[in-house]
Amino acid sequence: MERLRWRLRFIMAAVLSLPAGSARAADAALVAAAKNEGEVVWYTTQIISQLVRPVSAAFEKKYGIKVRSIRANSTELSVKIINESRAGKPQSDVFDGTSTVVPLKKEGYVLRWLPDPANAYPAQYKDPEGYWVANNLFFLTPGFNTSLVPKGTEPRSYQALLAPKWRGKMAWSTTPSSSGGPGFIGTVLTEMGNEKGMAYLRVLSQQQIANIGSAAREVLDQVIAGEYVLGLQIFNHHAVISAKKGAPVDWIKMEPATGTLSVISVHSAAPHPHAAKLLVDFIISPEGQHIFRAAEYLPADPAVPALTPSLKPDEGSFRTHFFTPEQTDHGMVTWKKVYDDLFR
Amino acid sequence: MTTSADLAHDIRSAGENRTALPADSVVAALWARLSAYQTLVLAMLLIVVLAALVLPPFLFLLKASIVDSHGSGEWSLANFEAVLESRRFLVSSANSLAFAAGSAVLALIIGWMTAWIVERTNTPLKPLAYLTAIISLGTPYILYVTAWLLVFGKAGPINQLYRALTGTSDVLIDIYSMPGMIMVEGFLWSPLAFLLVGATLRNANPELEEAARVSGAGLGATIRRVTLRLSLPSILALSMLVFIRAIEAFEVPALVGLPGRISVLTTDIYGNMVAKAPPDIGGASALSVLMLALVLVLLALYGRLSRHAERFATVTGKGFRPRPFELGRLRYAAAAVLVANFVLLLVVPIAMLTWVSLLPFYQPIGPAALKLVTLDNYRTVFSADHFELIANTLLVAVATATIAVALTFAAAWLAVRRAPGGWAVERLATIPLVFPGLILGIAVMQLFLHLPIPLYGTLGILIWAFVINYLPYGMRYSAAGMLQIHRELEESAEMCGASAFTRLRRIVAPLLAPALLAGWLFIFLMAARVLSLAILLAGPRSQTMAVALFDLWTNGQGTELAALGLIWSMLMAMIAAVFYAVARRSAASALART
Repeated sequence: MERLRWRLRFIMAAVLSLPAGSARAADAALVAAAKNEGEVVWYTTQIISQLVRPVSAAFEKKYGIKVRSIRANSTELSVKIINESRAGKPQSDVFDGTSTVVPLKKEGYVLRWLPDPANAYPAQYKDPEGYWVANNLFFLTPGFNTSLVPKGTEPRSYQALLAPKWRGKMAWSTTPSSSGGPGFIGTVLTEMGNEKGMAYLRVLSQQQIANIGSAAREVLDQVIAGEYVLGLQIFNHHAVISAKKGAPVDWIKMEPATGTLSVISVHSAAPHPHAAKLLVDFIISPEGQHIFRAAEYLPADPAVPALTPSLKPDEGSFRTHFFTPEQTDHGMVTWKKVYDDLFR
Repeated sequence: MTTSADLAHDIRSAGENRTALPADSVVAALWARLSAYQTLVLAMLLIVVLAALVLPPFLFLLKASIVDSHGSGEWSLANFEAVLESRRFLVSSANSLAFAAGSAVLALIIGWMTAWIVERTNTPLKPLAYLTAIISLGTPYILYVTAWLLVFGKAGPINQLYRALTGTSDVLIDIYSMPGMIMVEGFLWSPLAFLLVGATLRNANPELEEAARVSGAGLGATIRRVTLRLSLPSILALSMLVFIRAIEAFEVPALVGLPGRISVLTTDIYGNMVAKAPPDIGGASALSVLMLALVLVLLALYGRLSRHAERFATVTGKGFRPRPFELGRLRYAAAAVLVANFVLLLVVPIAMLTWVSLLPFYQPIGPAALKLVTLDNYRTVFSADHFELIANTLLVAVATATIAVALTFAAAWLAVRRAPGGWAVERLATIPLVFPGLILGIAVMQLFLHLPIPLYGTLGILIWAFVINYLPYGMRYSAAGMLQIHRELEESAEMCGASAFTRLRRIVAPLLAPALLAGWLFIFLMAARVLSLAILLAGPRSQTMAVALFDLWTNGQGTELAALGLIWSMLMAMIAAVFYAVARRSAASALART
């Protein structure tokens, strides 16, 4: 049933994208070269079951090129790619993430190239130097279990998280990126300034927040299970995805939320360079962006509206602190240290 | 089975083979000269191969730990200073030791109790204990850990019941604590402890116990003053083994320790390797070297304990048939222990995983969640690319077991027969015991990132690391089997003119086959489920099942993990059952000496 519904959504998405799709098609030479390569390896930070599978399936169906993917967080992907590339044995063609690209750019492992569909994107969704383009937007907020915390009694501000009743009942991911404890710290320090921010965090560290060594998606799943009642720095669209399946969960418009981009790039020494470009082109194209939309992700393409518009700051009217990949990467050194000192 | 008649025939024909060679040909003369040196050639060859496998990871790890990764790449002790200066190192080390000690004690208590009940008493329902142990041998630890977390977690049925009864919002059991970690790790190791203790109890002559009972000692006194005292050395040796393995453990610290803010050495090392870009290889290597030193000390201790064990030898040439303790009514209590063990270690985890595998997201057991039940996870598992995963894992496990057993077969022969070079061969084959899986992974990764051998990112690098890791286990099985084969059989073959290779092939190999097969299956099962060793080495084309299951957990696909894990465990349980049948038959019962 779920599958059928998804298929219907997908067909709708495909129909919606038809005008755009027929107006442009990836370069025929590129397609031929990519098909010759036969496969493409995608190192991703996206949740496999929610997004990577539908995107890969659509790409495979359209081009007959096999997509292989492995998932890890932004930093783990950077480390993996650096290790492989330093050894002269790069395995990945395409990689994404909120800050994966920054250390790789410094080491020269990123191709300076943007696909044609990126022309339609606003300037802040593209690297000025042309190394990356955003594929979707992320907004990180707290999420809560609605059967354990009746709606209306959830904490709505940063100060409210300090209440004794949340002690030992909150969790976040250890991931050293926007979607973990360090990302939360980054937003607090940016919003409150260093002095006030640190004072706040010291008090917060008494709340015994559980560190979960996995993606924010798993943190939210444990909140849904009732293991914790509040999850911090979870993706607000994940809460909507689960709620639509019947899970007792909702997200909180705690201001400011953390806003980031998931950006995508091609490896400068990709084993399948043409298939790599074709995959990025596909993901950034209206056709690809409609798959994001159907999966309840927030497309970066301004022409493709979100399925649930209130997940975005303007439509949902909530304030956000926005971090570019560079800001995230640069700040992470400090945020991670504060996290290790206070919360682990 | 090889009968003595077969053997006699083999010995004769081994001799004939040689005399049948055309004596005047140059080739034959060369061959004759070579065969005189065959033992030596074999020893040299093995020393070279084993040294090439075992030594480079050490060297690369040492080098990485003393190269200043932040500065100019010059040699310095900066990495060690950084590690030793941090308070965290002390805390993590203390946690590691406490965790490992607690787990060893718990595993041994559960293991010993069940083993004694099964081997020494007339308690009914004994097969339950074997069933529990055998299935656990094939099940990836990550699966057990997630299952017990679901059972004992804050939202699990036990705490739920407690809240319902008391009306509080507190928890009865906080699993994310040091006692919680110890409980889960202790559970994980107790089936193996059961099998190991069971083997020693089975082989021990119960004369002394019977004497005690005849002299009027009660059940408790006999156990306390005879059985326990006699098996104390082997218990100590076993607890040291579990202790060392728990120091190296990764799954429980990552899933249970992290949320409770309890750090241990392995999770710190893993963090250094993946939590910073570029990775702090120097820091991780320095920490690894320190941990290696710790394990080395512990292993030396273990060696001393197992040496002492011989003084308490109860395995003699005398035939005996142990008479089981008549427990009387107590046997129902003993049966209850077996049932509890079976329920806690097998039924509950499987039931919990089955429940979760039928849901779109975790929900506590209850009527409300029943409406959500779906087979979607199984559909996804069967439609996704998991066949490649299964093929990869089986290939790695089969190749590892085959290579490790082949190498240690020859190594054990040289070592036990005290051939020239045998000592060096034995040392080389047992050194890898000091390598915690995660650290061996880091070392082998370093090795192939720097060498121009294109193994990185392939299954080859996994097999390479796995073979190193399991050499000591292969050695235990082969050497234990070898010790039981009297050299007179080989000597008669030698008299008839059989060369070393011929003797190995026609005499030793057939006699050793059961021990080798048991060793092969043990390594196969371990290799098929190990996570810590594979986690840093697996690439997009070389995933193994344990890594994929861990990924499913970190990626937030817990319900799919349950479905895939259950299917995989069923397959492995069948192989484990074959293993157990073989191991029981194997006269070597080498498991007892692992």
